[in-house]
Amino acid sequence: MTMTGEEPLQVKSPRRAFHISEPRIEKLRIVKKKTVATWRIFKKNKLGMMGLTILMGFVVIAILAGPVMSVLAFIGGWDSAYGPFDRVAPMGAATPPSSEHWLGTDQWGFDILSRVIYGSRVSLYVGFVATIVSMALGAGVGILSGFWGGWKDAVLMRITDVFLVIPWLVLMIVLAYVLPGGPSISKVVFVIGITGWSSTARIVRAQVLSVKERAFVERARAIGAGDMHIVRRHIFPNVFPLVFANAILTVALSILSESTLSFIGLGPESVEVVTWGNMLEDAISASAMINGYYMWIAIPGIFIVLVVLGFTFIGHALDEIVNPKLRKR
Amino acid sequence: MRNDTKRRHGRMNRATKLMLKSVVNSLTTLMLVIILNFMLFRMMPGDPINFMISNNPRFSDELKEKLIDDFDLNAPMYVQFVTYVENCLTFNFGNSFIERNTPAMDIVLDNLRWTLILTGTSSLFMIVIGMIIGIIGAAKRGGPFDTGSLTFSLIFYAMPTFWLGMMMIVVFSKYLAWFPSSRAISIGASLDFSWTSISDVLWHLVLPASSLTLVSIAAFALIMRGSLTDVLTEEYITTARAKGLSKGRVLKDHAVPNAMLPMVSLIAIDLAFIVGGAFQTEYVFSYPGIGWRTIDATYKMDYPVLQAAFFVITVVVIIGNFIADLLLIHMDPRIQMEG
Repeated sequence: MTMTGEEPLQVKSPRRAFHISEPRIEKLRIVKKKTVATWRIFKKNKLGMMGLTILMGFVVIAILAGPVMSVLAFIGGWDSAYGPFDRVAPMGAATPPSSEHWLGTDQWGFDILSRVIYGSRVSLYVGFVATIVSMALGAGVGILSGFWGGWKDAVLMRITDVFLVIPWLVLMIVLAYVLPGGPSISKVVFVIGITGWSSTARIVRAQVLSVKERAFVERARAIGAGDMHIVRRHIFPNVFPLVFANAILTVALSILSESTLSFIGLGPESVEVVTWGNMLEDAISASAMINGYYMWIAIPGIFIVLVVLGFTFIGHALDEIVNPKLRKR
Repeated sequence: MRNDTKRRHGRMNRATKLMLKSVVNSLTTLMLVIILNFMLFRMMPGDPINFMISNNPRFSDELKEKLIDDFDLNAPMYVQFVTYVENCLTFNFGNSFIERNTPAMDIVLDNLRWTLILTGTSSLFMIVIGMIIGIIGAAKRGGPFDTGSLTFSLIFYAMPTFWLGMMMIVVFSKYLAWFPSSRAISIGASLDFSWTSISDVLWHLVLPASSLTLVSIAAFALIMRGSLTDVLTEEYITTARAKGLSKGRVLKDHAVPNAMLPMVSLIAIDLAFIVGGAFQTEYVFSYPGIGWRTIDATYKMDYPVLQAAFFVITVVVIIGNFIADLLLIHMDPRIQMEG
């Protein structure tokens, strides 16, 4: 596996036209090989495949929310495919499930079933984007901290500890409260991203510490590689699988955090954005528990559980693959 | 004999050193939390007092003057900071904006007691149940109990704590009417050590504590199972089996004690998560703990109470982590503190 391409590669002229250098082709080939190998192991993991199926289901529902509602409207024989912000009933009082509105309508006069279906969009969106924010922070701090060592490491780790020690929900509430601007999706994403990176930083740092001592890093340094080069070409590729497995588990946590924040009333307003969390908030403020609108409480919650389970299953399966110690058992 | 005392003496030194390190780490974290708390509440648009007052019609100019005076809000930033640190160390966060004659700290400490009751009970149950599931799971890996209990606990793990609480209320409080749906104690009753008072508190505790316990079992079960599986592959386990000890005996005397270390570290790490869960449970069940108070304070814009609650809950978690550190140092002679 030479990265510098000492011997000429077999692939020739056609690719040259796109100015892809030979070492890069070789690198892509390695990435492809590794991906295929990982997929082979993953395929055998029952829970992982189950999680992937659940997740694909939700991705389809989120993307095709409109068509899904049209199909349901056809099956149910409704007047039209209700959107999440169509007022289909008078405002003020919620109504119980009926043949026209399978899950009833809420106090704003919105169709609950349509809101549950469209709600998957925000959940997945917040889950992914918040995770990207916290992974970038966590991997960045972890890599730098482990790579630098010394007092810089000590400072970064103390800061990480602060974020580990402060209960996430407390910090989120306080942040959502003090940050300027009204409640919005971007604020929720920011708050979740900035509170969720600390454990990733710890894990990545530990991995960097062990990679740093390996012979190939020393060899690279001996032939004059700079810090940036070593981090980019040697450290990062070696911590990436770990970061990836961790990211999947973080998506699950981010989705849970989003629903909690929205539920407490620190997320976006339910008349502007529909999320499963603020549907449950509406349910509580309309006294759904006392009035017996059980489906209104049960269904959004079950959707949250399914999505989170999907990510958790995939995350555990990937964890077993990247963590050879776990696979051995 | 002499050798033995010598070794023990050496270990004492090491333990003392680690303990000192742990104390220094905890204090640094505490200092950083104080700085963060100071900065966070000054990130609000405008100065905090004006922000609060423009949203709060209850304030007279006179009161505003007093507040500015109390917190040195007209002074330069560094003077404000010194005043702030002083106030933190003396637990003085000023009076609540809502109950004007009560210090915010007294209100929060009153709530803290309920949070400790709730999280204490739940932690006990989640650790014990999690350990049992983990031990049986590791001993009979892949068996029906292992698969069943793990799936079950993962499903609870995937639930939003507040939603599980809502479902508990629907089923056990509204439908079956077995337990109360809110509060920590009956209206008009007071907390003392009489039998009626204790049973009343326990009766109110059942639903919040079980929702908090159920969502957290999975973390403990998984760690216990993983760590015990690791230990069971060690050579000394084979040796113990070879010298004729029964399987149960090996588990009890050799494997489980050695698998406990990751559990203790997990308890420390999870403390912050458990408190997050407790916040949601308290909110859903109107349980008058510190989490309920925090959320209530954000609605009412009760800034001193919010700040006091943030400070107190973080200090409690830092203390919890410190205790876990001490336990680990005591339990594992090989430990090296990282960071």
